[in-house]
Amino acid sequence: MARMSVSGFYAYYSENPALRNISLEIPDRQVLALIGPSGCGKTTFLRSLNRMNDFVKGFSVKGQVTLDDVDIYSSGLHPVVLRRRVGMVFQKPNPFHKSIFENVAYGLRIQGVRSRLILSDRVEQSLRSAALWDEVKDRLNSSAFSLSGGQQQRLCIARALAVEPEVLLLDEPASALDPISTARIEELIQDLKTQYAIVIVTHNMQQAARVSDRTAFFLTGEMVEIGETSRIFTNPSDERTEDYITGRFG
Amino acid sequence: MQGSPMNGISEGLSPFRRFRNLLLGGLTGLFFFFAVSPLLLIVYVAWNQGRSALNWEFISTLPSGFPLGTEGGILNGIVGSLVLVVIASSLSVPVGIWAGLYLWQDGKSRQAGLVRLLSDLLLGVPSVVWGIVGFYVFSTSTGMGFHWGFSAMAGGLTLGFIMVPIVTRVTEQALRDVPMSFIEGSYALGATRWQTMRSVALPGAMAGIGTGILLGILNVLGQTAPLVFTNYYNTGLPSSLVGSQGAVGDLAMQIFIYVHEPSQLLHVKAMAASLVLLGIVLALDIGIRLMTWGSRKIAGRVG
Repeated sequence: MARMSVSGFYAYYSENPALRNISLEIPDRQVLALIGPSGCGKTTFLRSLNRMNDFVKGFSVKGQVTLDDVDIYSSGLHPVVLRRRVGMVFQKPNPFHKSIFENVAYGLRIQGVRSRLILSDRVEQSLRSAALWDEVKDRLNSSAFSLSGGQQQRLCIARALAVEPEVLLLDEPASALDPISTARIEELIQDLKTQYAIVIVTHNMQQAARVSDRTAFFLTGEMVEIGETSRIFTNPSDERTEDYITGRFG
Repeated sequence: MQGSPMNGISEGLSPFRRFRNLLLGGLTGLFFFFAVSPLLLIVYVAWNQGRSALNWEFISTLPSGFPLGTEGGILNGIVGSLVLVVIASSLSVPVGIWAGLYLWQDGKSRQAGLVRLLSDLLLGVPSVVWGIVGFYVFSTSTGMGFHWGFSAMAGGLTLGFIMVPIVTRVTEQALRDVPMSFIEGSYALGATRWQTMRSVALPGAMAGIGTGILLGILNVLGQTAPLVFTNYYNTGLPSSLVGSQGAVGDLAMQIFIYVHEPSQLLHVKAMAASLVLLGIVLALDIGIRLMTWGSRKIAGRVG
């Protein structure tokens, strides 16, 4: 079942088209990887899925993006509500200058959750899901900045999970991390896809091959090809895809 | 000096580069000295001239004797200055922070540009003009206005107006210095604009805002011209904040008046009062730094 579905989607920065005629489906409990060279529009696309581009002056869209069959741009769905259902993790870990506990609790607090019991329950549950609980359970009150980069990124994932989103958007979540932390994040993605629809932007083709079920290849604002990851990487139907994944450019 | 970084840098360099290194290092030191020398000069002169009058009685009693002030101290000025600063801050801090938040949020809009322009114009209004405006708005007993007479309220609010644009601009800049990634992180979790401002942007900008408030207060502490028409001066303590009993003393005004008196002793006391004013400035600076310690850490200004 498709959690989100995009059809005939265009995005513009002022007059310049950044995305042209994108159509794809984001199924539940699967990982979709977006690959392509820098500037191809994959991050713009990702940020269009939870309307994070709304803050960019001059940004506009055409076409349709739906979440559970509700258009996220033209229906009355408020971006604030949308973002609670479509969570996002950024390229660089960006924990708040708060304690580990308060970082994870933030999304719940802003929804008005006050009960200490519910909060600590959900914080623990989220940290466990993000495979961070065992490392931080004895120091929930220390600053999030006492954690390593890889731990900080898993904290950001836990923070996103705490509000129980349906879709998780990951914007190059491991590009600022060392190989060991990267491996842990990839393992985590495998665990999380049993519960969420996941979209991951990555520059690392091996990573896309390892973690994703389907892969979409973007080039200069267009989606060249989408399909099963195994097929895209072994038998792409478009020559440009083959050139890119074999390292002939990009 | 063995093994110091500067030594390490010069090692193995050609004589020319070694010379240039020394020259630039020396110039840096020289300019640093020029930058701090006014402060050293003030402290030196004030200490030299005023120290003999400085004692507990000086800061804890009201002026007395003839000419007035040759005996007793400057308690009226200390209390008055603090009252004026509190009144000025209670107007300018909320208004300035609110305006700064608006400018940050609405940054590039035409209205924000207009507010910014007006704010800059206000920064450039000479303080004596503020004094006259304050007189017509707060003090005069005829026509429109509040008819508060020469009073702490009239003087304090006039000073508050001078502070508003300072706090506004510094607040806006401090908010801009909060990294965008924190703001986006908050929005991505479904926070509203207001929640993001309150829980992420403002706490991160607190150190900068504290500095802005301090700058405003320091500016106001040294003002005399706006007070001439709105509060003037009181040799005693006020019994109210408005009306004919409402005027307060003021350190800057007191220094100004004492220096004009043909009395060697009052000149000494003016210098001692300057030292007290410097002490208050230093105490405020330390106080605000302590209050915003947490936020200074966020901004990476302290380890």
